[in-house]
Amino acid sequence: MSDLVTVTIDGVEVTVPQGTLVVDAAKMIDNDIPVFCYHPKLKPVGMCRMCLVEIGVPMRDRATGEVLRNEDGSVRLNFGRGLQTACTVVVSDGMVVRTATQPVKDAREAVIEFLLTSHPLDCPICDKGGECPLQNLTMRYGRGESRFDFSNKILLDKHVPLGELIYLDRQRCIQCARCIRFQDEVVDDPVIDFHNRGRRLEIVTLSEPGFDSYWSGNTTDICPVGALTTADFRFGARPWELTSVASVCTHCPVGCNTTLDTRREAIAGGRSVIKRVMPRQNEWVNEIWICDKGRFVHHYADAPTRLKQPLVRKNGQLVEASWDEALDLVAGKLQQHKTAVAGLAGDRLSNEDLYLFQKLFREGLGSNNIDLANRRLAGGDVVAQVGLASGSNLKELGAGDAVLVVATDLHEEAPVWWLRVKQAAERGAVVVVANLRPTRLDKFATHRLHYAPGEALSTIRQLVNLAKVEMETADSDPLAAAADALIKAKNMVVFYGSEGLTYEETDALARLLANLLLVKNGEGHVGRPNNGLIPVWPHSNTQGAWDMGVHPAFAPGYKPVSEPGLRATDIYAGVADGSLKALFVIGADPVGDGLMADRGQLDFLVVQELFMTKTAELADVVLPAQSWAEREGTFTTGERRVQRYYMAIPPIGDSRPDWQILAQINERVGLGKPAFAASLVFNEIAKVVPQYKGMDYRSLARVEKQWPDVGGEDLYYGGTAHENRSGLGQQWACVAESATVERFDVAEQPVIARDGLQLVRVAALYTSGTLIEQSPVLHHRMARPTIQLAHADATALGLADDDRAEVTVNSVTYETAVRVNEQVPAGLVLLSGVPYIAGLTTAQIRKLETAVAQPTGD
Amino acid sequence: MALIAEKYAEEIEGILKRFPDKKSAVLPLMHLAQQAYGHMSREAMQEVADILEISPTHVLALSGFYSLYYEEPVGKYVLEICNDLACALRGADEFVEMVCHKLGVPVDGTTADGLFTVKTVMCLGACDRAPMLQCNLKFEEHLDEEKFDQLIARLRAEAESGKEEPSVVEKIMAYAKS
Repeated sequence: MSDLVTVTIDGVEVTVPQGTLVVDAAKMIDNDIPVFCYHPKLKPVGMCRMCLVEIGVPMRDRATGEVLRNEDGSVRLNFGRGLQTACTVVVSDGMVVRTATQPVKDAREAVIEFLLTSHPLDCPICDKGGECPLQNLTMRYGRGESRFDFSNKILLDKHVPLGELIYLDRQRCIQCARCIRFQDEVVDDPVIDFHNRGRRLEIVTLSEPGFDSYWSGNTTDICPVGALTTADFRFGARPWELTSVASVCTHCPVGCNTTLDTRREAIAGGRSVIKRVMPRQNEWVNEIWICDKGRFVHHYADAPTRLKQPLVRKNGQLVEASWDEALDLVAGKLQQHKTAVAGLAGDRLSNEDLYLFQKLFREGLGSNNIDLANRRLAGGDVVAQVGLASGSNLKELGAGDAVLVVATDLHEEAPVWWLRVKQAAERGAVVVVANLRPTRLDKFATHRLHYAPGEALSTIRQLVNLAKVEMETADSDPLAAAADALIKAKNMVVFYGSEGLTYEETDALARLLANLLLVKNGEGHVGRPNNGLIPVWPHSNTQGAWDMGVHPAFAPGYKPVSEPGLRATDIYAGVADGSLKALFVIGADPVGDGLMADRGQLDFLVVQELFMTKTAELADVVLPAQSWAEREGTFTTGERRVQRYYMAIPPIGDSRPDWQILAQINERVGLGKPAFAASLVFNEIAKVVPQYKGMDYRSLARVEKQWPDVGGEDLYYGGTAHENRSGLGQQWACVAESATVERFDVAEQPVIARDGLQLVRVAALYTSGTLIEQSPVLHHRMARPTIQLAHADATALGLADDDRAEVTVNSVTYETAVRVNEQVPAGLVLLSGVPYIAGLTTAQIRKLETAVAQPTGD
Repeated sequence: MALIAEKYAEEIEGILKRFPDKKSAVLPLMHLAQQAYGHMSREAMQEVADILEISPTHVLALSGFYSLYYEEPVGKYVLEICNDLACALRGADEFVEMVCHKLGVPVDGTTADGLFTVKTVMCLGACDRAPMLQCNLKFEEHLDEEKFDQLIARLRAEAESGKEEPSVVEKIMAYAKS
């Protein structure tokens, strides 16, 4: 029996895989069967009845099983007694589907008429108007006027906040349950549900805060009416007024494809502003989803506090200056201190920015003193060898495959990766989580390895050693069982992060995990699609920073330099002791992050930034840069996919793109005429960085047809996520794809005796920072400083749930909330809602006796 | 709060044992919670959700779907009068009016002594015995004013004497122990 079946839909034959639903089979030949409740990413439920069609199957002789034929030799078909829902019927061989007959038309007309019985006629003020499946399908299939009496319309609440991010309009809801099913089936946050029955049915939430999910915004995309809207876009603009510009999310290493919907506005003085951020389909990256952080955090681009003019310190004050004056000063000072300069970059900058930044130091000033301001996770060089192979798609992982996730909480650090690993588990993949404590992924994991504080590396080392040994039967030892399941998998993907680890430990971790992937069981798990290492980088372009050589020891393309420069920690020391004279900080705030105390003995400090950060306040020159929305560029994701983003709004004030500022400084230090377009800088990158060879802005903009259809004409089928017309990006090939990679040497890490309660900083998606603070819509959800610990440990400290405590880490003191959580292993304290802290520290916790007013978080 | 967890610990264990999946025990547990809390309050929903490790929103959805869970406080006896088509043809609407008048409460109202709540419901499947009502799950049929007066008198006497018929929860508990 073949895996394909052939069906005829409105006279057109189509061959599709077994198990395909009629509605999808029709979609594949561009026969759009209208739907409301059906969504190609959700399980079918057949609730709305909009997809009713005539379905006939060949009749067979009951005795012989022979297909019965009419006199003219044609197959006799049984169309049953009525219409069937195309979204719940699976295709079968010889099936004939009719979607345009009178009974079908009548049924559609009737369903529309019923859906509209109490639907309000407020399309002119509805956010969905213009991109509304109900509106579109009513125009196409509705009867134009209702036979129901207008006065019988039931009036229901129109402004029901399901929490402060998502609003429900009960009158508009057609009760398709797409939102409820998405929250339950797709993201496992079943925090909304139907209440009551019939026409009193409404969507409710009991979570605190309401609709407590990192994914809530997606429900507004798939809602086929204007029932669910975001607080951010509600009454913000009409869809047809919006200009959509392709972009890439800048808030984690996943690199979700987004669209910035912009509009010129009078209140912005005629400027174009971002009205909303929408997901853009990329089935290799984020499919059609984005997390709420990516959706709502865009406000920093338009923040009034953005820097607008270059500033130069005169008589102790930062005063506005011309670009020429500022740039001449920067170039002059950097050259003057040539032997004692250093550069620190943030890892949210584009590849073009980072490339030119290192070029300034390496070629312009002859210094390798260049690093990321805050390195958390090592292993870029390892990833270049055995990273996730090009051509990979996490969506393809399923039964027979394995995913290992070490020292990271994907749900908080890279939500879309969490989703994709969860879905791999649901398709049957082995998922092994190794961490200090349980995370949201544990529920879906097949193996959970919770190591004791300080034992991360020894545990993983043991796992690698066990993987090398052929095992006859599954061992009862959980570690051995996990090793066995991993090594026997057809494909293996390994994620690693830095939770509870120092930078040096993450380096050892990356190497150990590379060795695990290199263990040969047949082919080994490197160099093939859907195999390899994925680092859970702290920011959107940490990968690009490695690739571009923003590293004291690596030039672009991972070429080791003969004389490595100073690392960030040495640079901070050099600033303090006066061995460094000039420092260039770009897209980072080491003072605000507590990495650098002050400007120390520096003679010259230049900061290139969006905002007046703590570091910028101390600078001699502040250069106003453009945000990602005002310029174009490329980011490289943790899966090493290079992706383009585009200019969406005009520059704020006199700000310039980072790459342009750097190109102009580079010209002043004698590096020749500057590139006048980001694409040309990228062309230079493609020449210098072997991994990027063959890429250019055109190749990154390539698209191909993706399944399922979303956006465009098919709003009602896939929702309002945007169709991808601007580029799927390109994954660069790691070394293992073309050459043999040898096992990595792993330096022994000193084992530190761990006495007493150990404190680990854990990630929270909405942790305060320069950018997220600019989005008032998220203020209520921000992670407040909180410690979580087991009951026994809490009792020993005299702490109880809802107490306040004072926690001191590395001589910084935080006032925190206290949560007693039995999920936390004994001897461990989880600290969240505070800036990153590397490694483990012995907890110093003091109960705060007096009740301190909690921040209201307006 | 842990009202039912303490009060019905044994019963809950018995109920949970009967299902392969904890979540499936939600309806009987909701009956227990309704008995203990008086109605399906938010606290009751939260406790059921905590015991079964499900979202409280799910419990709310179920209590909204099924008419035997009351989200507002109700009296000791809930008189659920059918006023669907067949009963309506036999005078259910007038019957409801009479009941409300006699007890001095509107539909969905509870008498001041906390004894009776009047509700109207859809078909209970006793059309041949209309008009009828359901009082704490027990059918009272072929009703008229006289029979209603007798019913109320009987219930008042029962409430005063403290001798009560087994409630739905007692039936569930018996089931849990069987």
